[in-house]
Amino acid sequence: MTAAAPGWIRRNRDLVAAPVIVVVGLAVVLLYTTNRQLDSVEQRALDPSYLWARFGEHIWLTVASTVVVIILALPLGIALSRPAAARIRTGTLAFGGFMQALPAYGVIILLAFLLGFGTTTAIIALVLASFLPVLTNTVVGLLQVDPALIEAARGMGMSARQTLLRVEIPLAVPVMVAGIRVALVLNVGTATLATFIGAGGLGEPISSMLYLGRGQAVLVTSAIVAALALLIDWLAGVAERLVSGRLG
Amino acid sequence: MIALEGVSKIYPKQSKPAVTELNLQVPEGAIVTLIGPSGCGKTTILKMMNRLIEPTTGRILLAGEDVTDANGDQLRRRIGYVIQQVGLFPHLTIADNIAVVPKMLGWDKRRVTSRVDELLHLVGMEPGDFRDRYPRQLSGGQQQRVGVARGLAADPPVMLMDEPFGAIDPITRERLQDEFLEVQRQVAKTICFVTHDLSEAVKLGDRIAVFAARGRLAQYDTPSEVLAHPADDFVAEFVGSGAAVRRLSLLPISQLELAEIVISGAGAAAKDRPVLSVDDAGRPSAWHHVPGSERRPALVTVPLSATVYEAVDVMLDGHAPVVVVVDDDGQPRGALRWDSLVADLRPNGQPR
Repeated sequence: MTAAAPGWIRRNRDLVAAPVIVVVGLAVVLLYTTNRQLDSVEQRALDPSYLWARFGEHIWLTVASTVVVIILALPLGIALSRPAAARIRTGTLAFGGFMQALPAYGVIILLAFLLGFGTTTAIIALVLASFLPVLTNTVVGLLQVDPALIEAARGMGMSARQTLLRVEIPLAVPVMVAGIRVALVLNVGTATLATFIGAGGLGEPISSMLYLGRGQAVLVTSAIVAALALLIDWLAGVAERLVSGRLG
Repeated sequence: MIALEGVSKIYPKQSKPAVTELNLQVPEGAIVTLIGPSGCGKTTILKMMNRLIEPTTGRILLAGEDVTDANGDQLRRRIGYVIQQVGLFPHLTIADNIAVVPKMLGWDKRRVTSRVDELLHLVGMEPGDFRDRYPRQLSGGQQQRVGVARGLAADPPVMLMDEPFGAIDPITRERLQDEFLEVQRQVAKTICFVTHDLSEAVKLGDRIAVFAARGRLAQYDTPSEVLAHPADDFVAEFVGSGAAVRRLSLLPISQLELAEIVISGAGAAAKDRPVLSVDDAGRPSAWHHVPGSERRPALVTVPLSATVYEAVDVMLDGHAPVVVVVDDDGQPRGALRWDSLVADLRPNGQPR
């Protein structure tokens, strides 16, 4: 284990950058803030317990919407990758591309008028915004599996289902995880818009402080969102590395 | 034994059949090579045997049992399958790749492990070195050895092989073919072997099935018959101008009448027969006299177990019009002369 450590570190050196940027960036912002006089409005917005609650909402919006995307988009992607679905594959992916092109800001407001304000609507909007990367990567990941492997599997007597579970999905997992990573990062960013329909999140202090012209507080809260996005992307990157590590 | 009876295949939206009314019987324990030009349907025919492609009409018989409507997945677990691209699963170790079918058949762990080791030995790979490696760590030749081992894993009576050595460099291919024949001597499977390489078909096949377009079986016979007596113009053209030379590789020297040779010093000088000097152990050391040639030619020997093709090869290589045939102990058994070889192999067999 100790003998393997240097090689392991060398291979994954690129993964060190993100945490360092996050820590250094947050430290700089905090140092800058503690040396400044804050008025009562800013103090209320930067109160740790208030920020912590918004942070919790933000995480919930991100995680819940990503989980829903995984639950819906993975099976749909698997179904679309089957030969029987070849005819509707292109059309469905094109429709997904169209949905993706809609601006998240407009979607979230329109959905609020249709479904009412609140967290559920925000999660639905986030699901719509991050559905396509997971769907596309699932389909692409499964279609790029070497047909010779599928022929070998079927030729040895694996059923279509066994071939999918034991050969196709394991080989498509790295691409699928990459899609989920994109969805997560999209959702962290888009969740800042949830505040406009009363679903909280870290967008709330940002938009209110922007409204009241408190640049100092905007800087701090924006820095927290940016750090969160980088961190989640980093975690997903580590997960991706672990999953695909077996395949080199 | 596997047999196709009146099998046709018509692909949807195509008016003409890909395979028409085919009858083909592969005898127990024999290698049958399926050969023909590209697109003649030989791979389709192979895939109909394990029903990866379903025949439109006709019956498939496996060991006398009609399996035309049997469960396809169950059927395929009883038939070994080896393809050109090998198709080893990159996320599984060599051992796990070989173990796929035994595990599906519910073998217990110990039996699977010992079978994997046995098969790796059989294909000439040390289990301790290769068991836990991944396919990408193996050369192409090693991968195809594992592919063959995987096909043999559950000890199926029938093996289907689709150009298994087609993507491998010529030198490695030659070696794999020899090893494959050696393995077959031990396991004696019924094998269908698709190839587009006539030399391979001749070398490996106990019988050759030559296919013309639309899966028409143009000739089904032993390699020497196919080469010597093509059934029709198509086969004659397909077998081509190299047929006579190829036939030499099917002809063992032991089946020829060899020219008598005289050992020098052992009796009267024979003007009309070649005279050979031997060493103390009785092995040939040099020519003493060869009738019809002014200078004594270089001494070349060839084992009795070799083919005429190999004898011709050493003659051309050594610029020798005559070659000494020796037995396993190195004792001379006779001579093979270039001029008599040419005369005897004339189609009409007429003497000079």
